[in-house]
Amino acid sequence: MMKLEAIIQPSRFESVKDALREAGIEGMTVTEVRGHGRQKGHTEVYRGREYTVDLLPKIKLEMVLPDKLVNTVVDTILKTAKTGKIGDGKIFLSRVDEAIRIRNEERGENAL
Amino acid sequence: MTTVARPGLRLSFGQPIKKMQGSVTPQSVLGPQADDERQRIRKEFESGVSARQTVLALCALADQKTQQVFEDSLQTHGQTSSGFCLLALGGYGRRLLFPYSDLDILFLFGTEKAEQTFRPLISDFSRTLWDMGFRVSSAGRTLEECKRIEEDNIEFHLALLDRRFLAGDSELFNRLDNRILPTSEKTARPFLLTQLHKLTKDRLNRYGNTIFHLEPNVKDAPGGLRDYQAAAWLRQIAENKQSLNITAAEEDLASGAVDFLSAIRCFLHYANGRNDNTLTYELQASAAERSLGVFDGEARNAAEWMRLYFRHARTLNRLLLRYLEQKALVPQTFRQRFFNAARGPKTEPPNGRPFGVRDGMYEVFNQPALSDRSQIFSLFTEAARAGIPLSRQAERCIAYIMQHPELPVSNAQISWASLREMLGADYPGFALRPMQRLGLLTDALPEFSRIDSLVVRDFYHRYTVDEHSLRTIEHLQEMADPPDERAEHFQPLWRTVDRRDLLIFALLLHDIGKGMPVENHVTGSLEALASAAERLKLSEEDVAEVHFLIERHLDMSATMQRRDIFDPATVSGFAATVGNQERLQRLCLLTYADIHAVNPEALTPWKADMLWQLFVATSNYFSRTLDRDRVHAPDETSLLEQVRGVLAGGTTEEIEKFLEGLPRRYLAVHSANDIAQHIAMYRKLRTEPVQVELRQGSGRSFSLTLMTADRPSLFATIAGVLAGWGMNIIKADAFANAAGTVVDTFHFADLHHTLELNPTEIDRFRRSLADVVNGKAPLQPLLQGRDKASRERPPKVAIETKFGFDDNSSEHSTLLEIVAQDRPGLLYDIGSTLARLWCNIEVALIDTEGQKVIDVFYLTEQGKKLGPEKQAALFEALRTKLG
Repeated sequence: MMKLEAIIQPSRFESVKDALREAGIEGMTVTEVRGHGRQKGHTEVYRGREYTVDLLPKIKLEMVLPDKLVNTVVDTILKTAKTGKIGDGKIFLSRVDEAIRIRNEERGENAL
Repeated sequence: MTTVARPGLRLSFGQPIKKMQGSVTPQSVLGPQADDERQRIRKEFESGVSARQTVLALCALADQKTQQVFEDSLQTHGQTSSGFCLLALGGYGRRLLFPYSDLDILFLFGTEKAEQTFRPLISDFSRTLWDMGFRVSSAGRTLEECKRIEEDNIEFHLALLDRRFLAGDSELFNRLDNRILPTSEKTARPFLLTQLHKLTKDRLNRYGNTIFHLEPNVKDAPGGLRDYQAAAWLRQIAENKQSLNITAAEEDLASGAVDFLSAIRCFLHYANGRNDNTLTYELQASAAERSLGVFDGEARNAAEWMRLYFRHARTLNRLLLRYLEQKALVPQTFRQRFFNAARGPKTEPPNGRPFGVRDGMYEVFNQPALSDRSQIFSLFTEAARAGIPLSRQAERCIAYIMQHPELPVSNAQISWASLREMLGADYPGFALRPMQRLGLLTDALPEFSRIDSLVVRDFYHRYTVDEHSLRTIEHLQEMADPPDERAEHFQPLWRTVDRRDLLIFALLLHDIGKGMPVENHVTGSLEALASAAERLKLSEEDVAEVHFLIERHLDMSATMQRRDIFDPATVSGFAATVGNQERLQRLCLLTYADIHAVNPEALTPWKADMLWQLFVATSNYFSRTLDRDRVHAPDETSLLEQVRGVLAGGTTEEIEKFLEGLPRRYLAVHSANDIAQHIAMYRKLRTEPVQVELRQGSGRSFSLTLMTADRPSLFATIAGVLAGWGMNIIKADAFANAAGTVVDTFHFADLHHTLELNPTEIDRFRRSLADVVNGKAPLQPLLQGRDKASRERPPKVAIETKFGFDDNSSEHSTLLEIVAQDRPGLLYDIGSTLARLWCNIEVALIDTEGQKVIDVFYLTEQGKKLGPEKQAALFEALRTKLG
């Protein structure tokens, strides 16, 4: 099992979500986050006051996947979240040792 | 043995229990007996027996089994009950035992020794009851302990108010009931009342202080059974019970509401198989299908049945709130009474009106006068203006008038002028909320009844549609004293928004379509606007603004979440949809309020940030692209047609000539009617080279439109004349068309009431302005004296002066943005400095936010942007002039 964390543009979230659903992915955790990588922020002036936007709004998706689905999901996110501009985000993958469904204590991929 | 009926509201069920006697019955018999009996009670409830009878039957069963097990335990342990008894407390004490409610039992001991003696018995007794399926929640106290107030256990003392003898030593109970508790309760009254107030308010806060939850908890949420019980406790503890009198009709309503909610609670317990009191969507449908709690034979769908629920919940919540409002309930010390008697209630003189403020709330002083409905509306308008609520007693007075047709109603219809005043005030929610409770909101705006208590199944929204709509308005008004950082951020928008009345009107109507049989609720809401606008006789311009806000109420939210708000194309596209700064401000506030009122967590700081960034980007786009988009008149076919429609004898060529080359903002801020008036002024320029149009707004505010051929220092001259007359400029626009005709609009406050109190001065003012602009009269004499007076007044808030040049936003001009402390004559100082350095003002946008002035000028010199040297010279000159 792999844990996938993807940081994407908020504007791409709906498309990514729909594409993942079409690919058969039902469960995911979504968080509103702020941050920046190479895409730095900028400063806006409104009515004489400066507003520094150094941490940009992003959406973080988290899901744990059976190994066989990892490539499909990564491809789907790459296709739908990409705009080609700086700030499109990143995908992180890490190995997961165990998953346990609290309700019935099922374990492993059955618990996903 | 005797039981003493507890004081309280009228509901008390059943008869005193009888003492049970007999031999020890084995557990194998007792358990199934109790189960059978429970099954029988459930079947009877499901076949239509009332909740009142059901909870009584459950209570009788519990009483019977408790007493039987107690007697058996005494026999088994070879003990008598001397010095020991059982009391039923809380809901069980009141004989309101729901199917899966706890059995609250107090073990009362005469002495500490008795407590030790009976400990093994209690253990057996409790275990047996648990094994029989009773959820025992017990406590043990000696008589001595009952004299003390447990300050960290208010719940126990409240439960004790509903005490009832169950079994054991009745003499012991009588000592507690007749001697000990009356004395200690009297002493503890202030503590109990204060704690009960706190406990109740905390509970109401936890549920957002509203009954209108989509999936309400029928026990604990506002309007639930706990509200009724809290009201009963408040009455029971109160020293002066007369102040809490309710009429027989109110008592009947409350009793009906308790029956309805009790039926739901029984149903929920049976359906869930546990003490779960949440009325979920699924169970709402199922309750509606079996017409739970309804006996009129009428079939209702879930939404209609929920409206009945909310009606009953409103009855109980209103009763509780009235009791909570009675400050005199809390007993006072002699010193406090003496002090309060000397001070008397704080009452403002009503000044001939039938209402006034007493102790921080509006009260009605002359009830019959309220049959003139316009008096009621002015009471609401005052509440909205002052941010002072109506007392529950004032609401009762209004309700009484409304329910008694023998009092002839006059001026029943509210006019748009009155409604507008109310909606445009700082605290419109202080009027709309009680109006909704009293049914006056649907009288004034019948379209609102479509969403009255309407449940729309949606896992995102937490409240009914009407509650959501009112909350949007309350979230905006709370910006007067921002409760958090988000609100603080948006506060300046709320303070300075133009036509607040239209924004609030749009919020009232924006979701009405959800209560209409239409595919898209926006379509329905627009239909509601059309009917309301026709009835209230709104102007075309006003309808167009509200129409825009309703039609586009989801656009800003969709743009910020589904588009890249840092992409200039997104911003320019959104700006094109919105059209102008004023609309943007209204739409932004509407979006803020609409998201915020979905549920308490919906407007995350992340979303508020996105909204703010989209607002700032679009606002800056408007102010920095003014001279980019110019009107090419022949392309504006629809506008030309509209203007021709209202302009007497106008030709297309004439209209096109006037419009050609004006910045597009001119079209965004002026209606077809305004443009027609401007063209009428334009025609007169041939005979009179300076045209002045002056209109009075509300109070001291005026707006001035001046049209003439462009000339050096024109803007500074107009600003100078206004300053000379003591007028404070709040807002201004300066535009010029391709032919060099200037249309300048100034909104100003008549600080010294010169024009307001001396109408004859208006003509002199117009002449003075025209003469100075034409060069027939000098400006300097007007300015003498004003300058000194204005500089003598210290500012209330210090604003740091800032200048900034921007050469990138416009292709043709240099933008100069000035933020400075407002003062009379400031704009003249700026304008004259610009004129002195030969800077031509192509476009100007002047705005004021409290004491802060925010001016944007598009400047050119000989048709080009300002060079670096000119910018440096201008910077220096402005710094010297403005400080």
